[in-house]
Amino acid sequence: MVKKWLTVLLGLVLASFVLAACSDDKTGGKGSDVEIPEGATEVVMWNLFGGGDAEYMQEIVDKFNESQSDIFINNIQQEYEEYYTKLLTSIASGKGPDLAISHIHVLPELVNQGLLQDLDPLAKDVDVSWDEYTPNILEATIYDDKHYAVPIDTHAQIFYYNNKLVKDAGLLKDDGTLKMEETPEGFRNFLTSLKKKLPENKYPMAFSTAGLDTYRLWWTFYTQLGGEHILTDDLENPEYALDLDKAIKAAEYLKSLYYEDKVIPLNLQDFYSEFQSQNAATISTGVWATGIWETTDDLEFTAMPVPNIFDQKGAWGNSHTFVIPYYEDADPEIQKAALEFMEFATDEGAIWAKAGHVPAKETVVNSEEFKELPYRSDYAQVAEYVNFEDRNIYSRGLRDIVMRNLDMIWTDEVSPEEAFKAIEKEVKDLIGG
Amino acid sequence: MNKKSWLRDMKAIPFLLPFFIAYVIFTIFPIFKGLEMSLYDWSLVRKLDFVGLENYQEMFTDPHFWHTLWNTTLFVILTTPTMVFLALGLALFANMRTKLQTFLRSAYFLPSILSVAVISFVVIFMLQPYSGFVNTVLHSIGIETELYWLTDKVLAWITIVVVTLWWTVGFNMVLFLAALQDIPESLYEASEIDGASRWEQFRHITLPQLMPIGRVIVLLQILASYKVFAQILLITGGGPGGATRPLIQYIYEVGFRQNNLGYAATMSYALFFILLILSIIQLKAQRTEER
Repeated sequence: MVKKWLTVLLGLVLASFVLAACSDDKTGGKGSDVEIPEGATEVVMWNLFGGGDAEYMQEIVDKFNESQSDIFINNIQQEYEEYYTKLLTSIASGKGPDLAISHIHVLPELVNQGLLQDLDPLAKDVDVSWDEYTPNILEATIYDDKHYAVPIDTHAQIFYYNNKLVKDAGLLKDDGTLKMEETPEGFRNFLTSLKKKLPENKYPMAFSTAGLDTYRLWWTFYTQLGGEHILTDDLENPEYALDLDKAIKAAEYLKSLYYEDKVIPLNLQDFYSEFQSQNAATISTGVWATGIWETTDDLEFTAMPVPNIFDQKGAWGNSHTFVIPYYEDADPEIQKAALEFMEFATDEGAIWAKAGHVPAKETVVNSEEFKELPYRSDYAQVAEYVNFEDRNIYSRGLRDIVMRNLDMIWTDEVSPEEAFKAIEKEVKDLIGG
Repeated sequence: MNKKSWLRDMKAIPFLLPFFIAYVIFTIFPIFKGLEMSLYDWSLVRKLDFVGLENYQEMFTDPHFWHTLWNTTLFVILTTPTMVFLALGLALFANMRTKLQTFLRSAYFLPSILSVAVISFVVIFMLQPYSGFVNTVLHSIGIETELYWLTDKVLAWITIVVVTLWWTVGFNMVLFLAALQDIPESLYEASEIDGASRWEQFRHITLPQLMPIGRVIVLLQILASYKVFAQILLITGGGPGGATRPLIQYIYEVGFRQNNLGYAATMSYALFFILLILSIIQLKAQRTEER
């Protein structure tokens, strides 16, 4: 009896292992089960997208594959969390993809480790229209006067509001814009009056109390105050350059929205769904949310840049780029094919913009197709003044440190002064060691 | 050794070889490679300079190393005793001759089958403030305070410990259960004839008989708890602000996000050393007792 029971149990455990092992793993790089048309050059591409982003990138890839028969882009979606670890190690061991996506702040690390192919020699044969890209973004892809990446988009932190809730609270002008003065006090007053006038179970603003989004909004305020960096521009040997007064001021302002004005509920685990289900009147997050809100039934919203409440225009921003990994024995035919796809994909920026991003090509931003998309042109101007995160070989580690210490401020564990003291020490350890 | 038995042993070699090769490649080799790495400045991509014991020096003065090591130790202290006693209790319960026996056994063990991603997702979902299941239940019985299970230092620890208990206690229970069933029935029958009570039977028969497996479970549990990582990473991300960050997460961050594999290997060695010492102490203690 006992043995029988144990056998059943063991069988169950084994079966679960077997099932787990059998589940189709499509992330394994080359050799996945896609059919490649005869005679076509296969380009294996890795991407780090999820949700809507992944769908629209696939749409572009499909369109490219159908448009001609010489090149086949094999688009493989990778887990975002482990993406860079996997990319770095696989390129280094010569087993990575032929074409990959990288955020703009990770480029220095990739270039510095010798993992990227300089695109200029290839661009001689493939007609790349560098002058069509937004200069601000293009510049950030050039190292030692060489092009190392083709920018796809700018994605920035922006601000959304629920038309109906704000209107019912009496804070919407006739032209659909907000009754809000773009000053620190104006923004505060706007949120506190929302709080007074909204029904009791609705929040003025949905936002998180930890993690990436709070880091981005802090960065937005910091740059609006005139702060530029945490580390200087130097690629390999940056110095600590945080403007402490501005950093503290930005942090104190954001913190006061939680603890003094209480316009943002503490510790919302999933603040996206609060806005989506119309529990919150406003939200601040990246442009990629546009694609989510527009496909939500009954949600009437407006997108706008994060209010420029301090002295200068500023917003957190980042950018996706295409890169070609460097291999000693790389096949130039495949690399050229990859570059051709990049050119095609950036021309199809209007598809990519459906996810919410601002395309990197000015020609696309100025095209009718893009202008016809609702919402996007309301915030496309952000691309001109976004402040990218610091770009250097430490950028991924830097972000972890800053984010973790900022979280201590938002949870009211430490004062902003203490947090930045800790940040200074840890960051100096990181870049010095 | 005579010729016959030598021949017989030879026959075993082809069967042992595949495992042995895998063991050397995936266990023995990395151990020595790790030692080499800890003496170098080593990025994800290439070996840089030989730095000798510098990484070890750095480790001793690194507050994050000590903080995360303390966090991990705290987790071990909190989980090990509860895990062992709870498993024992459940095993005794599941061993009772009731109609529910099979149900209880499966119910206790089933969570162990779930992957860490699944349990973490369920927990985050249930413990959300304002709208989560747990807080809604608490509100409905009159508790008005909004509890931030995942973002309050103390509550985050409670969450992680309770989740780990629920998720892994079934494995220890199975070990206890197997041992319980190995206790000869005759011992209980004899004691019954001598007029022993239930409690006396438990104290003088069951408990002593369970001691050997109990020791193994304690050791395995300490080793497993020191290696805690995935559920913390997925549930709190080591937060709020690093308050629940375990050593392995720090090693992971240094190695894979700060691109410093040399130092990460050094700290892995420190953990290896701690676990080695604990195992030796445990085994020594066991031997003295058995003498």
